[in-house]
Amino acid sequence: MSSPISPACAHPEPALSRREVMAIGAAGLALAALPAPARAAAPPALTELIARITEGAVPERGRITFDIPQLVENGNSVDVAIQVESPMTDADHVRWIHIVAEKNPFPDVARFHLSPRSGRADIRATLRLATSQKVAAIAALSGGGYVIADADIVVTLSACIDGG
Amino acid sequence: MASFNARITMPAEAKAGEIVEVRVLVRHPMDRGGQVDAEGRVVPRKILNRLTVTYAGEPVFRYDMHTGVSANPFVSFTTRAVETGELTFEWREDGGATFTRTARLVVT
Amino acid sequence: MSAAGRALAAALLALASPAFADEIKPGSAFLSPEMQRQQEDQGRNPGYLWVEQGEELFSRRESVSPTCISCHADPGQSLRGAAARYPQVDRASGKLINLEGRIEQCRVERQKQPAFGYESQDLLGLTAYVASLSKSVPLSVSADGAAKPFYEAGKAFYERRQGQLNLACTQCHDDLVGQKLRGDTISHGVGTGYPAYRLEWNGVGSLHRRLRACSLGVRATQFDYGSDDYLALELYLAVRAKGLALEAPGLRR
Repeated sequence: MSSPISPACAHPEPALSRREVMAIGAAGLALAALPAPARAAAPPALTELIARITEGAVPERGRITFDIPQLVENGNSVDVAIQVESPMTDADHVRWIHIVAEKNPFPDVARFHLSPRSGRADIRATLRLATSQKVAAIAALSGGGYVIADADIVVTLSACIDGG
Repeated sequence: MASFNARITMPAEAKAGEIVEVRVLVRHPMDRGGQVDAEGRVVPRKILNRLTVTYAGEPVFRYDMHTGVSANPFVSFTTRAVETGELTFEWREDGGATFTRTARLVVT
Repeated sequence: MSAAGRALAAALLALASPAFADEIKPGSAFLSPEMQRQQEDQGRNPGYLWVEQGEELFSRRESVSPTCISCHADPGQSLRGAAARYPQVDRASGKLINLEGRIEQCRVERQKQPAFGYESQDLLGLTAYVASLSKSVPLSVSADGAAKPFYEAGKAFYERRQGQLNLACTQCHDDLVGQKLRGDTISHGVGTGYPAYRLEWNGVGSLHRRLRACSLGVRATQFDYGSDDYLALELYLAVRAKGLALEAPGLRR
């Protein structure tokens, strides 16, 4: 109910549940108890999502940087920045950058279409992340290859939810 | 929905060949659908699903948005200054409505 | 009492008193550096989308009524600092009104138009616009004279234990400032950024909306928007934050 993708603000949310009142009381403990982000390889679900985006090709790591806060202050609006090292010429450029969030209700989040006219592959945007999860940025290159960067993020919960 | 408005931040002037950053902030609730409103009705999905940017008539950027894009979304991208002309921003909303804004770039 | 004795007494008093105006920090001081930068960036802080709406409404003509701008010409100058003097006691009615209340009063009494309604997008837009004209102006509300009883009521509200969690505002916003509450950092509870764009809301909201969330947080009675209780509290918070610069539209979690 204090879900990061809570209903539009004008709508009152139901009263706090007992569990959430307890959670507010437990305050600082909640953060401390969070497990360290898993550093394992992408889970199968994400691998499948990526394979669908790249039409089966396995993306390479490197040449792409994906800035996203490891500790997200509010999942309603998460700042991301993606840069791909590319000369952005007719012969060698980034065609698009796709963001996928494995645990969002709809994992395909956004796609940015670029061209040599972009000059640089340099994008910033604000996303909505439902929960702590792995988020990946995949760039399609003009030569047919793909590059990927991903990040494990933790979405913290706001203590001060809205009562309408 | 409240009034649509957009804030487009970019230089008014650039040298030919210079790469300019274009920043776009737009007012939209980006209703992802499925929430229940104050009257107990389910809110249908209604988001801006695409922003297309042309520069002097040529497409230079496109942003495909899904439900994972924030309310009142911000996006920034770059484009190379090639000639004096209008950048046209067109948003497409679920249901087919479109909103358009323009900004002029003078190339010296 | 000797000078040393007086100094000691003053020091003891200082220790006993939980809050000092010169220590009070604005809400933005508890944000990440990134959000602090975004708040000041008019191309990035979504609150400016509401400011823009308010600016349009300010000169929009409805029927034969005067527009806001027909009385308040050159608002950047004529209304600079106005928001920093609210809440204040309305001379005619003797009631305490805040900026929202003053805008509604103008709308009904001078423009002869139906009130927008507290927390309507139009009133939020106009309030955010008028408040933005006082950006960086130090807050200077009065707690004296006609305002005194309201100030006392607000102070009592702030210090009174309330709700099922039996907490007073002061227990967190003076005694636990800087500590973590879930993902949040407890602030001094200063309203200088309101109306503010709050990520939690996906939009701009008033200080009273924020106070309603506080009341809910401690499971206490949520008072109405524009209620006497929240108006008095708003005055107390403003006096407590005297000298702090207005920063509306703020950006908050």
